[in-house]
Amino acid sequence: MAIISASSVEKIFRQPKRQAGFGGSIRGLFSRDFTEIRAVDGISFTIQPGEAVGYLGPNGAGKSTMIKMMTGILVPSSGTVQVLGREPHTNRITNAAEIGVVFGQRSQLWWDLPVRDSFDLNRHIYDIPTARFADNLARLTTMLDMASYIDRPVRQLSLGQRMRAEIAMALLHDPKILFLDEPTIGLDVVAKDTVRKFLAEVNRDRGTTIILTTHDLVDIEEICPRLIMVDDGKLLFDGELKHLRQTLGSRRRLKLEFGTDPGPITLKTAELVTDEGAAKHFLLENEQTSILDVLTELGSGHDLTDIKLEEPNIEEVIRTFYQNKPALAGARP
Amino acid sequence: MSRSLAVVPHLVRMYVSTRMEYRGAMLLAWFAQALSYAATYTAIALLLLRFGNLGGWTWSEMALLLSFHLLAYSLGASLSFTQFRDIEEKVRLGTFDAVLIKPVSPWVYLVFSGLNIGYVGHIILAVGLMAWSVTQVGVNWSILSALYFVAGLLSAAMVTAAIMTMIGATALVWVRSKHLFSIFFGFWELARYPLNIFPVPLQILMLTIAPLGFLAFVPVAVTLGKPVPLLGDWAGPASLLAGPLAVLLGALHWRHCIQNYQGAGG
Repeated sequence: MAIISASSVEKIFRQPKRQAGFGGSIRGLFSRDFTEIRAVDGISFTIQPGEAVGYLGPNGAGKSTMIKMMTGILVPSSGTVQVLGREPHTNRITNAAEIGVVFGQRSQLWWDLPVRDSFDLNRHIYDIPTARFADNLARLTTMLDMASYIDRPVRQLSLGQRMRAEIAMALLHDPKILFLDEPTIGLDVVAKDTVRKFLAEVNRDRGTTIILTTHDLVDIEEICPRLIMVDDGKLLFDGELKHLRQTLGSRRRLKLEFGTDPGPITLKTAELVTDEGAAKHFLLENEQTSILDVLTELGSGHDLTDIKLEEPNIEEVIRTFYQNKPALAGARP
Repeated sequence: MSRSLAVVPHLVRMYVSTRMEYRGAMLLAWFAQALSYAATYTAIALLLLRFGNLGGWTWSEMALLLSFHLLAYSLGASLSFTQFRDIEEKVRLGTFDAVLIKPVSPWVYLVFSGLNIGYVGHIILAVGLMAWSVTQVGVNWSILSALYFVAGLLSAAMVTAAIMTMIGATALVWVRSKHLFSIFFGFWELARYPLNIFPVPLQILMLTIAPLGFLAFVPVAVTLGKPVPLLGDWAGPASLLAGPLAVLLGALHWRHCIQNYQGAGG
């Protein structure tokens, strides 16, 4: 049974129409015109227990709005959201007891007090038995390497230390689902790596379902086998990350190096995209095209010294996806 | 709800610990605020001692009115003012979302995680002035009148907390509501004087949609046996009902706004 299901979910925000300039602001006071913003537009998906799902999209795509509906913060305009078999907004407190939420840019720790005090408050808020709290705190302190700063005021922590503490706090009550809204934003490379490894481990070893929004595609690659992509509130892709490249047909890149510049080369099997003289970069036309096809078409007589074939990286795949989205809307694996 | 209430002492402990991080600033704020009120009251006292009375109220009666006004406001506002004044900022920055993902009542969390101990200066001044004035006003205190006085004080504190809740909750839907506090404090200034000195339309306003007449004037006038305009003999029960009724309206408004919370985008 799905741990989360969304069925034709819509969220529409109604905002007064803004008019430009000072005069427009004054006119706006007396205007009753509203603009409807469809932040989430008919999205459906299900998530099984133990899955790790990346929720990806550009700014304004409706990622945070969807997370807020799943956590009970916002009420859907239409459609249904079910989390752990319940409607989150009508069972907000019960739902909150069984989920953990981390906001990358909004701390839930008490700024002027030691980290441990915030953890202790959560023990009471979530009614965590003392022994379980002590076990979880010890385990999370070790795993996230927090021993050196757990008794320091939050205001004295680095962003990386604070984010580790935020994640630990969200897990102290053993939530069944962990929602993370851009958990690696602003972190340095080392801190990002620590957070990613930890989240992957929590998902793998403890079976905690993870749903995270991010702009950093490495987060998705390292934590989430499944990807849900949205834009303009609509679902664009829902499937395994490994299927994304083939679904979107992102093209592999081929680099041919010659001893001397052979001049312009035009091929049917590959498109020349960069010509550096003796080094030429091509995009293969499709998944079925092999290097052998290219070399056969190229023929002999060129002073070919090296060949390099590169799979498109995930960032490139997704950039291509969004650039071509009118043609690809509705793509499914 | 029981979990929410069980969390209250822990939230208060956290908030007090936070304030204690800046204890010098806190003590200075207590002293400054008490001094500010004392200066205002001294000015009123000097005027009354010069002119005899204000709308039929002598200085000692006015002192009881002022102390009741300050004490009821401090008790209600410690539960509500800074918490609901700052809710607009929380909505705008998105930090209010973090309140809604906790398995406790958001009102309880918000109120007690910000329980304002900054009103200690107000309370000390109000209790001191009240202790002096009750011995000066010539009331024949009985158990019943004392109980009414305390219940009226609690009811007035409830009116304060409920109005602040309603104003703050409005920010959950409109994002901004701080300007409504300016209106509140406009009426709040008037509420420290006898209601009978104001024109009738203002009296009606202060006993209905801006019910700050119940913050001090009505219960103190009943205690002193003075006439209460518009309410007459109903003034006593009305002052006791005003608080619970305001709390009921505040709770309904709060629930409505939470259900219609939109955030500020992002």
